[in-house]
Amino acid sequence: MNVIRLLVVIGVACGLTTAPAAAQTAAPKPPAPKVSTATKEKAAEQNANPDAIVLADFQKRIDAYMAVHKDAKKDAPPLKETKNPGEIKAAQDALGVKIRAARTTAKQGDIMTPEIQNKFRRLMYPVVTSPAAQGTAGREVKKDIKEELKENTEERKEEGGKPVVLKVNATYPNDTPLPTTPPQVLMNLPKLPEQLEYRIIGKNLMIRDVEANIIVDFVPNAIQ
Amino acid sequence: MRRSILFVLMLLVLGVSSLVAQDLTLPMKNGSVKFAVIGDTGTGDKHQLAVAKQLAATRAKFPFEFVIMVGDNIYGGNSEKDYDKKFTLPYKPLLDAGIKFYAALGNHDDPSERYYKPFNMNGERYYTFKPANGVRFVALDSTYVDDKQLKWVDEQLGMSGSDWKIAFFHHPPYSSGETHGSDETLRTQLEPIFVKHGVNVVLTGHEHFYERIRPQKGIAYFITGSSAKLREGNITQTQLTAKGFDSGYTFMIVEISGDDMYYQTMTDTGKTVDSGTVHRVGKVEPTPNRTAQPVVATGGSNKKTPSKPLKQ
Repeated sequence: MNVIRLLVVIGVACGLTTAPAAAQTAAPKPPAPKVSTATKEKAAEQNANPDAIVLADFQKRIDAYMAVHKDAKKDAPPLKETKNPGEIKAAQDALGVKIRAARTTAKQGDIMTPEIQNKFRRLMYPVVTSPAAQGTAGREVKKDIKEELKENTEERKEEGGKPVVLKVNATYPNDTPLPTTPPQVLMNLPKLPEQLEYRIIGKNLMIRDVEANIIVDFVPNAIQ
Repeated sequence: MRRSILFVLMLLVLGVSSLVAQDLTLPMKNGSVKFAVIGDTGTGDKHQLAVAKQLAATRAKFPFEFVIMVGDNIYGGNSEKDYDKKFTLPYKPLLDAGIKFYAALGNHDDPSERYYKPFNMNGERYYTFKPANGVRFVALDSTYVDDKQLKWVDEQLGMSGSDWKIAFFHHPPYSSGETHGSDETLRTQLEPIFVKHGVNVVLTGHEHFYERIRPQKGIAYFITGSSAKLREGNITQTQLTAKGFDSGYTFMIVEISGDDMYYQTMTDTGKTVDSGTVHRVGKVEPTPNRTAQPVVATGGSNKKTPSKPLKQ
């Protein structure tokens, strides 16, 4: 009987202590790592961390894109300082055409594979999604991103610009403001070559080719 | 017929008088560095043209040597026609007079603007220049502040010695704007570097009004984002504002001489809405957290005087 009473007391106590914790879990949980069997095997073979293998794979894919970019640039008019803005636009457009031609079959996920997407969501989670305590950078960044999105939509409407349709190889609309990427987000993500940049579009993270003004790939729902 | 001629003459007199109505408060000292500041300009509409016209008229009295553009230089499309309509034509008298423009990128700007020679960005998103001995400007790309840029600005400012250090970029770290407000994440990144190296003045835009912020950690902050666009009544009541003006289109003219920076903010009709001095306090010994001297802003009216009631 005493044992039963003791179990009841412990049960009630556990219930009381876990109740607030349960309330806190209303915020999205950190994404669970999703690593393919092939990556796990490779990691075991190389005695490496599976995440390091995923990031190395990302780097390899970015390098492959940059090889295409550099190759396309050889035959495109150079982007250089000029008094003639027509030359800048022509150089940008010509480079975009050549990159598209070299990647006609490119699609979402070619660079940002599912396991790379998962890694990126995990890298961004502490800054943009985690239930950060009041007054911390995470909370401010989330607030800023939300406000930025709202402002951008309002400004785009004011300007009569088109909404951004995320599509690999598509041109980023010239008449749409570029959303600011919070420095804290950039610091958590792998570095890109200077010809590429990260931008947050809605809840998605886009990689944009700055010189060709095209969408290279994106992570859907990078912010949960 | 006579009435028509009289009417046209009256219009001409009024037009000319509005251009010469400027009441310059700047000291016009020999050897001083003189420049103008405009922001959020690239619309190509009548408001940009009116400010540009007043800016050119002001130069007849105050011969500034260059113009700082704090971003949103070309709104919308970026074809050759857009550059003409939104930059070359409005500022033609100044460009023809050999006045240099130095641009920073705003969130509405295509980063490829850095290749446009008249913006003097040397093909870079962020850059620095010294218009004269003792004065250094640093232009930043506040829409994409990565490690590389932060390291660069830290290094450049670290090498600036006792120069006046003026940073300009688009997003304001401090603002009383209802639409945007202070960019706190940007402030977290940049302010420690500015304080460490004794940046004196920060010029920004983004908010479509004029605001002079009370000095923050020894740095004078100005927002000049109403040189073509205006958000009337957008300044909210905060403790940040030293002077706010959200009911007209504005630009700034500035003069640096010795340890003083004189500023005057004017509207497209030549009315002065703010003026004063930023005075550099005497030399302070470098410490691990500060390598140069702080500033205090003096002069000017310490109140908000927009011509319409402020939103609470």
